[in-house]
Amino acid sequence: MSTQVHANLTEEQVQQISDELDEPEWLLETRLEALDALEDLEMPDVIRTPGRQWTNLDALDYETLVDPLEWEQEKDRVEAEGVDVLAWDEAVEQHGDVLEEHFGSVVDPQRDYLTALSTALFSAGTLVYVPEGVDAEDVKIRTTMNSRSLFNYTLVVAEESSSVTILERQSTGENVEGDQYYSGVVEAVAGENASVQYGALQNLAEDTYNFQVKRGHTDQYATLDWIEGNIGSRLTKTSVETRLLGDSSESQIVGAFFGHEDQHFDLGSRVWHEAEHTTADLVTRGVLDDEARSVYEGVQDVGRDAWDTNSYQRENTLMLSDDSEADASPKLIINNHDTEASHSATVGQVSEEDMFYMTSRGVDPESAENMLVEGFFRPVLEEVAVDELREDLEELIAARLR
Amino acid sequence: MSSDQDHLKETDTEARFEFKKEESSAFETEAGLTEETVRVISEDKDEPDWMLERRLRALEQFQQMPMPTDWPGQPDLSEIDIENIVPYIRPDIETRGGAESWEDLPEEIQDTFDKLGIPEAEKNALSGVGAQYESEIVYQNMQEQWEEKGVIFCDMDEAVREHEEIVKEHFMTKCVPPSDNKFAALHGAVWSGGSFVYVPEDVTVEMPIQAYFRMNSEGMGQFEHTLIVAEENSEVHYIEGCSAPQYATHNLHSGGVEVFVGENAHVQYSTVQNWSKNTYNLNTKRAIVEADGTMEWVSGSMGSKATMLYPSTVLKGPGATDNHITIAFAGEGQNIDTGAKVYHNAPDTKSTIESKSISKDGGRTNYRGLVHISDGAEDSSTSVECDALMFDNESTSDTMPYMEIQENKVDVAHEATVGKIGDEDVFYLQSRGLDDDDAKQMIVAGFIEPITEELPIEYAVELNRLIELEMEGSLG
Repeated sequence: MSTQVHANLTEEQVQQISDELDEPEWLLETRLEALDALEDLEMPDVIRTPGRQWTNLDALDYETLVDPLEWEQEKDRVEAEGVDVLAWDEAVEQHGDVLEEHFGSVVDPQRDYLTALSTALFSAGTLVYVPEGVDAEDVKIRTTMNSRSLFNYTLVVAEESSSVTILERQSTGENVEGDQYYSGVVEAVAGENASVQYGALQNLAEDTYNFQVKRGHTDQYATLDWIEGNIGSRLTKTSVETRLLGDSSESQIVGAFFGHEDQHFDLGSRVWHEAEHTTADLVTRGVLDDEARSVYEGVQDVGRDAWDTNSYQRENTLMLSDDSEADASPKLIINNHDTEASHSATVGQVSEEDMFYMTSRGVDPESAENMLVEGFFRPVLEEVAVDELREDLEELIAARLR
Repeated sequence: MSSDQDHLKETDTEARFEFKKEESSAFETEAGLTEETVRVISEDKDEPDWMLERRLRALEQFQQMPMPTDWPGQPDLSEIDIENIVPYIRPDIETRGGAESWEDLPEEIQDTFDKLGIPEAEKNALSGVGAQYESEIVYQNMQEQWEEKGVIFCDMDEAVREHEEIVKEHFMTKCVPPSDNKFAALHGAVWSGGSFVYVPEDVTVEMPIQAYFRMNSEGMGQFEHTLIVAEENSEVHYIEGCSAPQYATHNLHSGGVEVFVGENAHVQYSTVQNWSKNTYNLNTKRAIVEADGTMEWVSGSMGSKATMLYPSTVLKGPGATDNHITIAFAGEGQNIDTGAKVYHNAPDTKSTIESKSISKDGGRTNYRGLVHISDGAEDSSTSVECDALMFDNESTSDTMPYMEIQENKVDVAHEATVGKIGDEDVFYLQSRGLDDDDAKQMIVAGFIEPITEELPIEYAVELNRLIELEMEGSLG
């Protein structure tokens, strides 16, 4: 099995990574425990239906993809006033207590094989710390991957009544040859009455295997909004998750993807309603061209104590080519009857009527289709409150059109 | 119509559905499942060798296959003790091939069916009754006019002997092979009884064909097999209904249904099942539809401790259509995991799935469905709609649809809603003089209307009655 990558990993390597970052003992322990656990951990869950597995993560050759000590990235971190946006070694130095309190509290470091691998090996790390009452716009993190593998970790802590907007861009630099592996874990903690918007735009080179987990907790009255745009990579497996732990907290998860050639996107949006009066809204739209394939799973889980829950989910896929494939599974799990919930998923192609309307007005078919695709993304783009992210996404979509 | 309802009013509903009979069995296989058991069943039925071979092959597959345990949120099957389920019991009647008419039935069995209201149903709309008491069809009645048309409706055991060629071709070969799942394999090994329906080309069977199944023996499984072959341009509606008394030990019901819908033919298969609350209901039902044919599944799942049932349809020919209408009701201690599977394997195929579920008193309902559109099945369309109604906070309701779309010229839509019974609706009805219970019953009756309107009147009445029974006194 290809998952034997850990056979070549040593405690010394992990020790070395930890030393270089000057990490405290508890963090090294966490890493080593994750390394130990690799032996028994399974790959992340993927959907199986009779006769097939929707994504095959076992097929990857992690051994040649993962190079724990050779990592290189360019990071631009743009701070907003009153917010600390720190590289990992600085975070360790300045906010050790914050790290100790929150690291691994949202995403279980050993939730599955790939997450544990990331925990053991991450060397590119960022802390975004928003103190109480601070309002910050425009925190930006730009990650440019310049090595065969890169393990990235981001922790966002927003204290009481603060608000922050974070925009992360992921792309590949010039000097990398062959297949690459990118792994990213994001933990977000939204304190009481805090508001966090986290937008991520993934445009990695198309020979990159990309695994990401983004997960957050909300306290009372908090809002946590995720935006995830997926344009690049060869294979992407992501999960964006919110646990609504505080009464009256809210979360929105917005997704947009555009796959072409033989790209494979396995995307998950998950929300757990665990308190009263919580609201969740999951919106995903994607376009598939050529032989691209998308797999979407959206889960809305309403717990026993989640009285007065509102939970909505919409997923729409547009197929431009007959060789593409779209699989979708929106799931509702309801354990409290005081719930208003709905989910819907649709798959279809560009409507002939719309095409006819445009071409009859003198627009050539290619431009007409391009306009319709841009129009298809419109409802999702409107949900993106960060102007810069929206414009970036529009640009990338336009660039991909024929 | 009215006589039906009168009868139902007179009968105490409780007594109608829950009663127990003294057993007198002519023949029982040893509890447990061995090659010997299978041979004994086959021998007792005078089966041809090919059927015995198929049974033994299925047994082998059964022994090799794992229990389905890794589905997200599936019912717990760990209490099923297959070793202690008697797979085959034949009621003690003189005639091996079933009774000629109602009067010939043993009094005990007549009584059983009286309580289910079969004689009334018969007077009104029955075109033939295949009544399964334990594991064998003991009563069959067929209107002569059909026989003239060449329609065959008989018990499955008889069909193996009398219509060997057609059964050999269709029985657990193309539609539901034993390898499909562990319980289909079990079924293939020990199946017994059930109905065989054959409708020749261009024949329309105007009246629904009906069969009742019952379980009446503790610790006993039921493995009836239904095979329906509808040739080109034919039309038939088959109804299966169940209502079993309550027992304290676990029962397993694992039936098999295979439907072949010929070109431009139309088959409707309706079920109202109300197995007792200690039964595991693990059926495999599948239809294959040729060009321009139509398959309709209508099912109400009321009883059982746990149900796992996903009627599936393979749309094989261009222009084929499939409709599913399902309703599930789960009360205390029940886990009803049901849904639908549709494979679009040809262009211009259509499917609609309409699923409704009600859960109360800690009951659990789950919709689990798969829609697969193969590459090349262009201009196909599917729409899935799931609605769940919940009565209280002990109940749960999940929806887990899967869509695999490999073709771009398609129209796919899925939507689901979950809600509690509306206080406003209840208030509206109460302010017009209904009490709380009546108001809720009326809302539920309205909620399941799409299902009941598809059923002949006596079934619709029965379904409504069953739901009333479930809701009686335990609301509020």
